[in-house]
Amino acid sequence: MNADEIDAQIRMLAAERRLPPSHLARWLAMDAASRAALLDIARVIRLRTGQLMTALDTLEEIAVREHVTVAAILDRPEIRRIAGGPGSAPSRASALLEALRTLRYPLLKRMQEQIRSEISALKLPRGISIVLPKELASDEFTVSLRVRSAAELAHLLEALDRSRPGLARIIEMLAGKK
Amino acid sequence: MKFDLDAVFVEHGCAGSALATRILGALARDVPVTHVADNDTREATRPAPGARDPFGAGKRRLVIARRKTPFLAPCPAGSSEFACCGYLVLTLASNCPMDCSYCFLQEFLADNPSFQVYANFADSFDELDRLAANARGRIFRVGTGDLADSLAFDSITSISRDLIDFFASRENLTLELKTKTDEIENLLAMDPRGRVLVSWTLSPDAVYRSSEHLAAPPAARIAAARAVLDAGYRVAFHFDPLIAYPGAERDYILLIDELLDTVAPKQISFISMGGLRMTPGLRGAARSRFPDDPMLCGEDVLASDGRFRTFTPLRLSLYRALADRFRKGGAEIPSYLCMEPASVHESVFGAPPVRPAIIGKRLARD
Repeated sequence: MNADEIDAQIRMLAAERRLPPSHLARWLAMDAASRAALLDIARVIRLRTGQLMTALDTLEEIAVREHVTVAAILDRPEIRRIAGGPGSAPSRASALLEALRTLRYPLLKRMQEQIRSEISALKLPRGISIVLPKELASDEFTVSLRVRSAAELAHLLEALDRSRPGLARIIEMLAGKK
Repeated sequence: MKFDLDAVFVEHGCAGSALATRILGALARDVPVTHVADNDTREATRPAPGARDPFGAGKRRLVIARRKTPFLAPCPAGSSEFACCGYLVLTLASNCPMDCSYCFLQEFLADNPSFQVYANFADSFDELDRLAANARGRIFRVGTGDLADSLAFDSITSISRDLIDFFASRENLTLELKTKTDEIENLLAMDPRGRVLVSWTLSPDAVYRSSEHLAAPPAARIAAARAVLDAGYRVAFHFDPLIAYPGAERDYILLIDELLDTVAPKQISFISMGGLRMTPGLRGAARSRFPDDPMLCGEDVLASDGRFRTFTPLRLSLYRALADRFRKGGAEIPSYLCMEPASVHESVFGAPPVRPAIIGKRLARD
Protein backbone atom coordinates (compact mmCIF):
# COMPACT_ATOMS: atom_id res chain seq x y z
CA MET A 1 0.00 0.00 0.00
CA ASN A 2 1.22 3.49 -0.70
CA ALA A 3 0.90 6.34 1.81
CA ASP A 4 -2.40 7.60 0.39
CA GLU A 5 -3.93 4.14 0.58
CA ILE A 6 -2.74 3.73 4.16
CA ASP A 7 -4.26 7.10 5.11
CA ALA A 8 -7.52 6.10 3.43
CA GLN A 9 -7.56 2.86 5.44
CA ILE A 10 -6.83 4.78 8.65
CA ARG A 11 -9.71 7.15 7.95
CA MET A 12 -11.99 4.21 7.25
CA LEU A 13 -11.04 2.45 10.49
CA ALA A 14 -11.38 5.72 12.44
CA ALA A 15 -14.87 6.21 11.00
CA GLU A 16 -15.85 2.63 11.89
CA ARG A 17 -14.56 3.08 15.43
CA ARG A 18 -15.81 6.67 15.74
CA LEU A 19 -12.37 7.76 16.77
CA PRO A 20 -12.39 11.42 17.94
CA PRO A 21 -11.11 13.78 15.21
CA SER A 22 -8.22 14.96 17.42
CA HIS A 23 -6.93 11.40 17.75
CA LEU A 24 -7.32 10.78 14.02
CA ALA A 25 -5.38 13.98 13.30
CA ARG A 26 -2.57 12.89 15.60
CA TRP A 27 -2.46 9.45 13.97
CA LEU A 28 -2.27 10.99 10.52
CA ALA A 29 0.46 13.36 11.70
CA MET A 30 2.81 10.43 12.48
CA ASP A 31 5.56 9.40 10.11
CA ALA A 32 4.47 6.98 7.35
CA ALA A 33 5.96 3.86 8.94
CA SER A 34 4.29 4.62 12.30
CA ARG A 35 0.91 5.30 10.69
CA ALA A 36 1.06 1.96 8.93
CA ALA A 37 2.34 0.02 11.94
CA LEU A 38 -0.46 1.29 14.17
CA LEU A 39 -3.04 0.54 11.49
CA ASP A 40 -1.70 -2.97 11.20
CA ILE A 41 -1.85 -3.78 14.90
CA ALA A 42 -5.22 -2.05 15.36
CA ARG A 43 -6.66 -4.37 12.74
CA VAL A 44 -4.89 -7.55 13.78
CA ILE A 45 -6.03 -7.41 17.38
CA ARG A 46 -9.20 -5.45 16.65
CA LEU A 47 -8.69 -2.59 19.07
CA ARG A 48 -11.94 -1.00 20.22
CA THR A 49 -12.34 2.79 20.27
CA GLY A 50 -11.18 3.35 23.85
CA GLN A 51 -8.33 0.88 23.42
CA LEU A 52 -7.21 2.57 20.22
CA MET A 53 -7.26 5.97 21.92
CA THR A 54 -5.29 4.66 24.91
CA ALA A 55 -2.78 2.92 22.64
CA LEU A 56 -2.31 6.07 20.59
CA ASP A 57 -1.85 8.26 23.69
CA THR A 58 0.57 5.82 25.31
CA LEU A 59 2.56 5.24 22.14
CA GLU A 60 2.98 8.98 21.61
CA GLU A 61 4.19 9.43 25.18
CA ILE A 62 6.69 6.57 24.90
CA ALA A 63 7.92 8.01 21.61
CA VAL A 64 8.49 11.43 23.21
CA ARG A 65 10.15 9.93 26.31
CA GLU A 66 12.50 7.69 24.36
CA HIS A 67 13.00 9.80 21.21
CA VAL A 68 11.87 6.92 19.00
CA THR A 69 9.11 6.47 16.45
CA VAL A 70 5.84 4.67 17.10
CA ALA A 71 6.84 2.16 14.43
CA ALA A 72 10.03 1.35 16.36
CA ILE A 73 8.02 0.77 19.55
CA LEU A 74 5.54 -1.52 17.80
CA ASP A 75 8.44 -3.45 16.30
CA ARG A 76 9.82 -4.47 19.70
CA PRO A 77 9.81 -8.22 20.40
CA GLU A 78 7.44 -8.02 23.38
CA ILE A 79 4.88 -6.15 21.27
CA ARG A 80 5.33 -8.36 18.21
CA ARG A 81 4.81 -11.43 20.38
CA ILE A 82 1.46 -10.08 21.51
CA ALA A 83 0.36 -9.03 18.04
CA GLY A 84 1.29 -12.35 16.47
CA GLY A 85 0.64 -14.58 19.44
CA PRO A 86 -2.19 -16.91 20.34
CA GLY A 87 -5.31 -15.95 22.23
CA SER A 88 -8.45 -14.04 21.46
CA ALA A 89 -8.33 -10.54 20.05
CA PRO A 90 -9.72 -9.00 23.29
CA SER A 91 -7.10 -10.74 25.44
CA ARG A 92 -4.31 -9.66 23.09
CA ALA A 93 -5.68 -6.11 23.10
CA SER A 94 -5.52 -6.06 26.91
CA ALA A 95 -2.03 -7.54 26.83
CA LEU A 96 -0.92 -4.91 24.32
CA LEU A 97 -2.16 -2.05 26.49
CA GLU A 98 -0.49 -3.57 29.54
CA ALA A 99 2.80 -3.98 27.65
CA LEU A 100 2.63 -0.39 26.45
CA ARG A 101 1.95 0.79 29.98
CA THR A 102 5.03 -1.09 31.19
CA LEU A 103 7.11 0.71 28.57
CA ARG A 104 5.54 4.04 29.51
CA TYR A 105 5.98 3.60 33.28
CA PRO A 106 9.06 1.35 33.63
CA LEU A 107 10.13 2.36 37.14
CA LEU A 108 6.59 2.35 38.49
CA LYS A 109 5.96 -1.12 37.12
CA ARG A 110 9.25 -2.43 38.53
CA MET A 111 8.53 -0.93 41.93
CA GLN A 112 5.00 -2.38 41.98
CA GLU A 113 6.41 -5.82 41.18
CA GLN A 114 9.06 -5.55 43.88
CA ILE A 115 6.51 -4.53 46.51
CA ARG A 116 4.09 -7.26 45.44
CA SER A 117 6.80 -9.88 45.70
CA GLU A 118 7.70 -8.51 49.13
CA ILE A 119 4.04 -8.94 50.14
CA SER A 120 3.93 -12.49 48.77
CA ALA A 121 7.08 -13.37 50.70
CA LEU A 122 5.29 -12.44 53.93
CA LYS A 123 3.00 -15.44 53.41
CA LEU A 124 0.27 -13.75 55.38
CA PRO A 125 -2.66 -15.94 56.38
CA ARG A 126 -6.02 -15.59 54.69
CA GLY A 127 -7.89 -12.93 56.57
CA ILE A 128 -5.10 -10.39 56.27
CA SER A 129 -5.01 -8.31 53.15
CA ILE A 130 -2.68 -5.55 52.09
CA VAL A 131 -3.88 -2.99 49.61
CA LEU A 132 -1.25 -0.82 47.97
CA PRO A 133 -2.04 2.75 46.94
CA LYS A 134 -3.31 2.88 43.37
CA GLU A 135 -0.34 3.43 41.06
CA LEU A 136 1.78 4.14 44.13
CA ALA A 137 0.31 7.63 44.20
CA SER A 138 0.75 7.81 47.96
CA ASP A 139 3.06 6.44 50.65
CA GLU A 140 0.18 4.88 52.59
CA PHE A 141 -1.02 1.32 52.33
CA THR A 142 -3.95 -0.40 53.96
CA VAL A 143 -3.80 -3.54 56.08
CA SER A 144 -7.15 -5.13 56.79
CA LEU A 145 -8.10 -8.05 58.98
CA ARG A 146 -11.20 -10.13 58.43
CA VAL A 147 -12.19 -12.09 61.52
CA ARG A 148 -15.18 -13.81 63.12
CA SER A 149 -13.79 -14.74 66.51
CA ALA A 150 -11.38 -13.60 69.18
CA ALA A 151 -9.18 -16.61 68.44
CA GLU A 152 -9.02 -15.73 64.76
CA LEU A 153 -8.14 -12.15 65.67
CA ALA A 154 -5.36 -13.29 67.98
CA HIS A 155 -4.01 -15.58 65.26
CA LEU A 156 -3.96 -12.79 62.66
CA LEU A 157 -2.41 -10.28 65.05
CA GLU A 158 0.35 -12.74 65.86
CA ALA A 159 0.96 -13.28 62.16
CA LEU A 160 1.08 -9.55 61.61
CA ASP A 161 3.51 -9.14 64.47
CA ARG A 162 5.79 -11.78 62.97
CA SER A 163 5.64 -9.91 59.66
CA ARG A 164 6.67 -6.63 61.19
CA PRO A 165 10.14 -6.49 59.57
CA GLY A 166 8.68 -7.25 56.14
CA LEU A 167 5.94 -4.66 56.58
CA ALA A 168 8.56 -2.13 57.64
CA ARG A 169 10.44 -2.88 54.41
CA ILE A 170 7.27 -2.18 52.41
CA ILE A 171 6.81 1.11 54.25
CA GLU A 172 10.38 2.06 53.37
CA MET A 173 9.88 1.09 49.74
CA LEU A 174 6.75 3.23 49.49
CA ALA A 175 8.69 6.12 50.99
CA GLY A 176 11.39 5.72 48.36
CA LYS A 177 14.02 4.57 50.83
CA LYS A 178 14.87 1.31 49.05
CA MET B 1 17.08 39.95 29.00
CA LYS B 2 15.42 40.96 25.80
CA PHE B 3 11.93 39.74 25.06
CA ASP B 4 9.94 40.60 21.96
CA LEU B 5 6.68 42.49 22.30
CA ASP B 6 4.09 42.68 19.53
CA ALA B 7 1.94 45.41 21.07
CA VAL B 8 1.43 47.57 24.13
CA PHE B 9 -1.93 48.72 25.49
CA VAL B 10 -2.19 51.52 28.05
CA GLU B 11 -5.29 52.40 30.05
CA HIS B 12 -6.01 56.13 29.64
CA GLY B 13 -5.82 56.69 33.38
CA CYS B 14 -2.35 55.16 33.50
CA ALA B 15 -0.89 57.03 30.53
CA GLY B 16 0.88 59.60 32.68
CA SER B 17 1.95 57.20 35.39
CA ALA B 18 5.60 56.80 36.27
CA LEU B 19 5.49 53.13 35.26
CA ALA B 20 3.96 53.82 31.82
CA THR B 21 6.49 56.59 31.21
CA ARG B 22 9.37 54.28 32.08
CA ILE B 23 8.07 51.42 29.95
CA LEU B 24 7.19 53.49 26.90
CA GLY B 25 10.57 55.22 27.12
CA ALA B 26 12.41 51.93 27.17
CA LEU B 27 10.48 50.18 24.39
CA ALA B 28 11.67 49.72 20.85
CA ARG B 29 10.11 52.37 18.58
CA ASP B 30 8.42 49.86 16.29
CA VAL B 31 6.19 48.36 18.98
CA PRO B 32 2.67 49.76 18.43
CA VAL B 33 1.14 51.47 21.49
CA THR B 34 -2.64 51.71 21.83
CA HIS B 35 -4.50 53.68 24.48
CA VAL B 36 -7.69 52.10 25.76
CA ALA B 37 -10.48 53.43 27.95
CA ASP B 38 -10.20 52.82 31.68
CA ASN B 39 -11.78 49.53 32.72
CA ASP B 40 -11.81 48.46 29.09
CA THR B 41 -8.74 46.30 28.86
CA ARG B 42 -10.71 43.09 28.46
CA GLU B 43 -10.15 42.97 24.70
CA ALA B 44 -6.43 43.50 25.18
CA THR B 45 -6.00 40.89 27.86
CA ARG B 46 -8.13 38.08 26.45
CA PRO B 47 -6.70 35.41 24.14
CA ALA B 48 -6.13 36.71 20.60
CA PRO B 49 -8.90 35.32 18.40
CA GLY B 50 -7.58 33.06 15.67
CA ALA B 51 -4.07 32.82 17.12
CA ARG B 52 -2.52 29.38 16.69
CA ASP B 53 -1.11 29.66 20.22
CA PRO B 54 -3.25 32.23 22.09
CA PHE B 55 -1.33 31.83 25.33
CA GLY B 56 2.02 32.31 23.63
CA ALA B 57 0.67 35.34 21.73
CA GLY B 58 -0.58 36.84 25.00
CA LYS B 59 2.93 36.84 26.39
CA ARG B 60 4.00 39.27 23.68
CA ARG B 61 1.20 41.78 24.42
CA LEU B 62 1.91 44.14 27.30
CA VAL B 63 -1.00 45.81 29.07
CA ILE B 64 -0.41 48.66 31.50
CA ALA B 65 -3.47 48.95 33.69
CA ARG B 66 -4.65 49.82 37.16
CA ARG B 67 -5.12 46.91 39.56
CA LYS B 68 -8.53 47.11 41.18
CA THR B 69 -8.18 44.25 43.63
CA PRO B 70 -5.74 43.89 46.55
CA PHE B 71 -2.10 43.27 45.68
CA LEU B 72 -1.30 41.21 48.75
CA ALA B 73 -2.63 37.70 49.41
CA PRO B 74 -1.60 34.48 51.11
CA CYS B 75 0.21 32.09 48.80
CA PRO B 76 -2.50 30.26 46.81
CA ALA B 77 -0.60 26.98 47.15
CA GLY B 78 -1.43 26.95 50.86
CA SER B 79 -4.10 24.48 51.90
CA SER B 80 -4.90 22.30 54.87
CA GLU B 81 -3.54 19.30 52.91
CA PHE B 82 -0.03 20.70 52.65
CA ALA B 83 2.67 21.95 54.99
CA CYS B 84 2.80 25.72 54.47
CA CYS B 85 5.89 27.99 54.39
CA GLY B 86 4.01 31.17 55.35
CA TYR B 87 4.76 32.94 52.07
CA LEU B 88 2.73 35.99 51.04
CA VAL B 89 2.35 37.00 47.42
CA LEU B 90 2.32 40.51 46.04
CA THR B 91 0.83 40.55 42.55
CA LEU B 92 2.40 43.43 40.63
CA ALA B 93 2.22 41.74 37.24
CA SER B 94 0.52 38.83 35.57
CA ASN B 95 2.13 36.36 33.15
CA CYS B 96 5.72 36.03 32.15
CA PRO B 97 7.68 36.54 28.93
CA MET B 98 9.52 33.25 29.42
CA ASP B 99 7.71 30.13 28.30
CA CYS B 100 8.36 27.12 30.51
CA SER B 101 6.52 24.09 29.21
CA TYR B 102 5.39 23.04 32.69
CA CYS B 103 4.22 26.48 33.85
CA PHE B 104 0.90 26.55 35.72
CA LEU B 105 0.05 29.91 34.18
CA GLN B 106 -0.85 28.10 30.95
CA GLU B 107 -4.00 26.95 32.71
CA PHE B 108 -4.39 29.70 35.30
CA LEU B 109 -4.19 32.59 32.81
CA ALA B 110 -5.68 30.81 29.79
CA ASP B 111 -8.52 33.34 29.62
CA ASN B 112 -6.37 36.46 30.09
CA PRO B 113 -2.90 35.64 28.90
CA SER B 114 -1.62 39.14 28.13
CA PHE B 115 1.33 40.31 30.15
CA GLN B 116 -0.17 42.87 32.56
CA VAL B 117 1.70 45.25 34.80
CA TYR B 118 -0.09 47.42 37.30
CA ALA B 119 0.67 51.13 37.12
CA ASN B 120 -0.65 51.70 40.65
CA PHE B 121 1.77 49.13 42.09
CA ALA B 122 2.90 51.63 44.75
CA ASP B 123 -0.57 51.29 46.35
CA SER B 124 0.65 47.88 47.49
CA PHE B 125 2.99 49.62 49.91
CA ASP B 126 -0.01 50.82 51.95
CA GLU B 127 -1.27 47.25 52.13
CA LEU B 128 2.13 46.08 53.32
CA ASP B 129 2.36 48.80 55.96
CA ARG B 130 -1.10 47.90 57.24
CA LEU B 131 -0.08 44.23 57.44
CA ALA B 132 3.07 45.07 59.38
CA ALA B 133 1.24 47.45 61.72
CA ASN B 134 -1.46 44.89 62.50
CA ALA B 135 1.02 42.15 63.40
CA ARG B 136 3.84 43.80 65.26
CA GLY B 137 6.62 41.40 66.18
CA ARG B 138 5.91 39.08 63.28
CA ILE B 139 8.16 38.89 60.27
CA PHE B 140 6.68 38.35 56.85
CA ARG B 141 8.26 37.03 53.67
CA VAL B 142 6.56 38.67 50.72
CA GLY B 143 7.29 37.71 47.14
CA THR B 144 6.40 39.03 43.70
CA GLY B 145 7.13 35.83 41.81
CA ASP B 146 3.81 34.05 41.84
CA LEU B 147 1.92 35.14 38.70
CA ALA B 148 5.03 36.62 37.10
CA ASP B 149 8.78 36.36 37.20
CA SER B 150 9.99 39.07 39.60
CA LEU B 151 12.73 40.37 37.32
CA ALA B 152 11.93 39.34 33.74
CA PHE B 153 10.87 42.82 32.62
CA ASP B 154 12.81 44.76 35.20
CA SER B 155 15.00 46.40 32.56
CA ILE B 156 11.94 48.28 31.26
CA THR B 157 9.83 48.60 34.44
CA SER B 158 12.54 49.10 37.12
CA ILE B 159 9.90 48.12 39.70
CA SER B 160 12.61 46.35 41.67
CA ARG B 161 14.12 49.72 42.59
CA ASP B 162 10.86 50.95 44.15
CA LEU B 163 10.38 47.66 45.96
CA ILE B 164 13.90 47.50 47.36
CA ASP B 165 13.67 51.11 48.44
CA PHE B 166 10.46 50.35 50.34
CA PHE B 167 11.47 47.04 51.91
CA ALA B 168 14.94 48.25 52.92
CA SER B 169 13.28 50.54 55.44
CA ARG B 170 10.77 48.01 56.87
CA GLU B 171 12.05 45.95 59.77
CA ASN B 172 9.52 43.15 59.78
CA LEU B 173 9.10 42.66 56.04
CA THR B 174 11.39 40.67 53.77
CA LEU B 175 11.01 40.90 50.02
CA GLU B 176 11.62 37.80 47.93
CA LEU B 177 12.33 38.42 44.26
CA LYS B 178 11.92 35.07 42.52
CA THR B 179 13.33 34.63 39.03
CA LYS B 180 14.75 32.43 36.29
CA THR B 181 16.62 35.32 34.71
CA ASP B 182 19.96 37.01 35.27
CA GLU B 183 18.33 40.45 35.09
CA ILE B 184 20.08 41.98 38.10
CA GLU B 185 21.41 45.34 36.90
CA ASN B 186 18.88 47.37 38.92
CA LEU B 187 19.56 45.30 42.02
CA LEU B 188 23.28 45.92 41.90
CA ALA B 189 22.64 49.65 42.07
CA MET B 190 20.62 49.44 45.31
CA ASP B 191 21.34 48.82 48.99
CA PRO B 192 18.85 46.24 50.28
CA ARG B 193 19.99 46.57 53.91
CA GLY B 194 19.59 42.82 54.39
CA ARG B 195 15.86 42.89 53.78
CA VAL B 196 15.74 41.61 50.25
CA LEU B 197 16.20 38.04 49.25
CA VAL B 198 16.63 37.01 45.63
CA SER B 199 15.72 33.45 44.81
CA TRP B 200 16.32 31.42 41.71
CA THR B 201 14.47 28.44 40.42
CA LEU B 202 17.22 26.02 39.43
CA SER B 203 16.97 23.10 37.05
CA PRO B 204 19.59 20.91 35.43
CA ASP B 205 20.68 21.75 31.90
CA ALA B 206 18.52 18.94 30.51
CA VAL B 207 15.36 20.56 31.92
CA TYR B 208 16.49 24.05 30.93
CA ARG B 209 17.12 23.00 27.33
CA SER B 210 13.96 20.96 27.02
CA SER B 211 11.47 23.04 28.97
CA GLU B 212 12.57 26.50 30.12
CA HIS B 213 12.28 28.52 26.93
CA LEU B 214 13.80 32.04 27.06
CA ALA B 215 14.98 31.58 30.66
CA ALA B 216 18.62 32.20 31.56
CA PRO B 217 20.86 29.10 31.53
CA PRO B 218 21.33 27.55 35.00
CA ALA B 219 24.99 28.61 35.13
CA ALA B 220 23.98 32.22 34.44
CA ARG B 221 21.40 32.07 37.26
CA ILE B 222 24.05 30.80 39.67
CA ALA B 223 26.50 33.51 38.56
CA ALA B 224 23.78 36.13 39.08
CA ALA B 225 23.16 34.76 42.58
CA ARG B 226 26.85 35.16 43.40
CA ALA B 227 26.76 38.74 42.12
CA VAL B 228 23.73 39.81 44.19
CA LEU B 229 25.12 38.04 47.24
CA ASP B 230 28.26 40.13 46.91
CA ALA B 231 26.06 43.21 46.61
CA GLY B 232 24.42 42.61 49.99
CA TYR B 233 21.37 40.55 49.09
CA ARG B 234 20.41 37.24 50.60
CA VAL B 235 19.87 34.33 48.23
CA ALA B 236 17.70 31.24 48.13
CA PHE B 237 17.02 28.49 45.61
CA HIS B 238 13.91 26.66 44.51
CA PHE B 239 14.26 23.19 43.04
CA ASP B 240 10.71 23.37 41.86
CA PRO B 241 9.52 21.76 39.74
CA LEU B 242 11.73 18.82 40.44
CA ILE B 243 11.38 16.59 37.39
CA ALA B 244 12.07 12.88 37.68
CA TYR B 245 13.39 12.14 34.19
CA PRO B 246 15.91 9.31 33.59
CA GLY B 247 19.23 10.47 35.02
CA ALA B 248 17.58 13.22 37.07
CA GLU B 249 19.20 12.35 40.39
CA ARG B 250 22.71 12.49 38.92
CA ASP B 251 21.97 15.78 37.10
CA TYR B 252 20.41 17.48 40.15
CA ILE B 253 23.36 16.46 42.31
CA LEU B 254 25.80 17.87 39.74
CA LEU B 255 23.74 21.06 39.73
CA ILE B 256 23.89 21.29 43.52
CA ASP B 257 27.66 20.75 43.41
CA GLU B 258 27.95 23.52 40.83
CA LEU B 259 25.85 25.78 43.05
CA LEU B 260 27.81 25.02 46.22
CA ASP B 261 31.08 25.64 44.38
CA THR B 262 29.87 29.20 43.77
CA VAL B 263 27.69 29.92 46.80
CA ALA B 264 28.74 28.49 50.15
CA PRO B 265 25.98 26.59 52.00
CA LYS B 266 26.03 29.02 54.92
CA GLN B 267 25.27 31.86 52.49
CA ILE B 268 22.06 30.22 51.30
CA SER B 269 19.01 31.46 53.22
CA PHE B 270 16.87 28.48 52.31
CA ILE B 271 16.08 25.95 49.66
CA SER B 272 12.71 24.65 48.61
CA MET B 273 11.78 21.60 46.60
CA GLY B 274 8.55 20.65 44.91
CA GLY B 275 7.88 17.81 42.51
CA LEU B 276 6.33 18.58 39.13
CA ARG B 277 2.59 18.64 39.66
CA MET B 278 -0.05 19.28 37.06
CA THR B 279 -3.81 19.35 37.11
CA PRO B 280 -5.33 17.39 34.22
CA GLY B 281 -6.17 20.74 32.59
CA LEU B 282 -2.62 22.01 32.83
CA ARG B 283 -1.21 18.70 31.64
CA GLY B 284 -3.41 18.84 28.55
CA ALA B 285 -2.56 22.48 27.84
CA ALA B 286 1.16 21.96 28.35
CA ARG B 287 1.35 18.85 26.21
CA SER B 288 -0.61 20.46 23.44
CA ARG B 289 1.76 23.48 23.40
CA PHE B 290 4.92 21.38 23.84
CA PRO B 291 4.15 17.95 22.36
CA ASP B 292 7.82 17.00 22.02
CA ASP B 293 8.96 17.80 25.55
CA PRO B 294 9.93 14.55 27.31
CA MET B 295 9.89 16.34 30.67
CA LEU B 296 6.09 16.44 30.40
CA CYS B 297 5.93 12.65 29.98
CA GLY B 298 7.39 11.51 33.28
CA GLU B 299 6.10 8.62 35.37
CA ASP B 300 3.27 10.73 36.74
CA VAL B 301 0.08 9.35 38.25
CA LEU B 302 -3.09 10.98 39.52
CA ALA B 303 -2.62 11.79 43.20
CA SER B 304 -5.30 12.31 45.83
CA ASP B 305 -5.16 16.10 45.39
CA GLY B 306 -6.30 15.74 41.78
CA ARG B 307 -2.89 16.55 40.31
CA PHE B 308 -0.58 14.36 38.30
CA ARG B 309 2.63 13.82 40.24
CA THR B 310 5.61 11.50 39.90
CA PHE B 311 4.65 8.26 41.68
CA THR B 312 5.45 8.60 45.37
CA PRO B 313 8.52 6.39 45.97
CA LEU B 314 10.39 7.92 43.04
CA ARG B 315 9.41 11.48 44.02
CA LEU B 316 10.42 11.00 47.64
CA SER B 317 13.71 9.33 46.78
CA LEU B 318 14.62 12.31 44.59
CA TYR B 319 13.74 14.78 47.38
CA ARG B 320 15.86 12.74 49.78
CA ALA B 321 18.84 12.58 47.40
CA LEU B 322 18.85 16.37 47.07
CA ALA B 323 18.35 16.97 50.79
CA ASP B 324 21.23 14.57 51.56
CA ARG B 325 23.50 16.35 49.12
CA PHE B 326 22.82 19.71 50.75
CA ARG B 327 23.34 18.16 54.18
CA LYS B 328 26.70 16.77 53.05
CA GLY B 329 27.51 20.27 51.79
CA GLY B 330 28.36 21.12 55.34
CA ALA B 331 25.72 23.49 56.63
CA GLU B 332 22.14 23.03 57.76
CA ILE B 333 20.21 25.03 55.21
CA PRO B 334 16.57 25.71 56.13
CA SER B 335 14.51 23.69 53.69
CA TYR B 336 10.89 23.10 52.90
CA LEU B 337 8.77 21.20 50.43
CA CYS B 338 6.15 23.05 48.41
CA MET B 339 2.69 21.52 48.16
CA GLU B 340 3.52 18.34 49.99
CA PRO B 341 1.82 17.03 53.13
CA ALA B 342 3.54 17.08 56.52
CA SER B 343 4.07 13.29 56.32
CA VAL B 344 6.24 13.67 53.22
CA HIS B 345 8.19 16.49 54.87
CA GLU B 346 8.85 14.23 57.84
CA SER B 347 9.85 11.30 55.63
CA VAL B 348 12.34 13.43 53.67
CA PHE B 349 13.83 15.61 56.40
CA GLY B 350 13.32 13.32 59.38
CA ALA B 351 11.25 15.89 61.26
CA PRO B 352 7.77 17.32 60.91
CA PRO B 353 7.48 20.81 59.44
CA VAL B 354 7.18 23.66 61.91
CA ARG B 355 4.08 25.86 62.00
CA PRO B 356 3.63 28.24 59.02
CA ALA B 357 4.18 31.40 61.08
CA ILE B 358 7.44 30.06 62.49
CA ILE B 359 8.76 28.69 59.22
CA GLY B 360 7.80 31.94 57.48
CA LYS B 361 9.69 33.92 60.08
CA ARG B 362 12.70 31.61 59.90
CA LEU B 363 12.85 31.73 56.13
CA ALA B 364 12.48 35.49 56.18
CA ARG B 365 15.30 36.18 58.57
CA ASP B 366 17.74 33.26 58.86
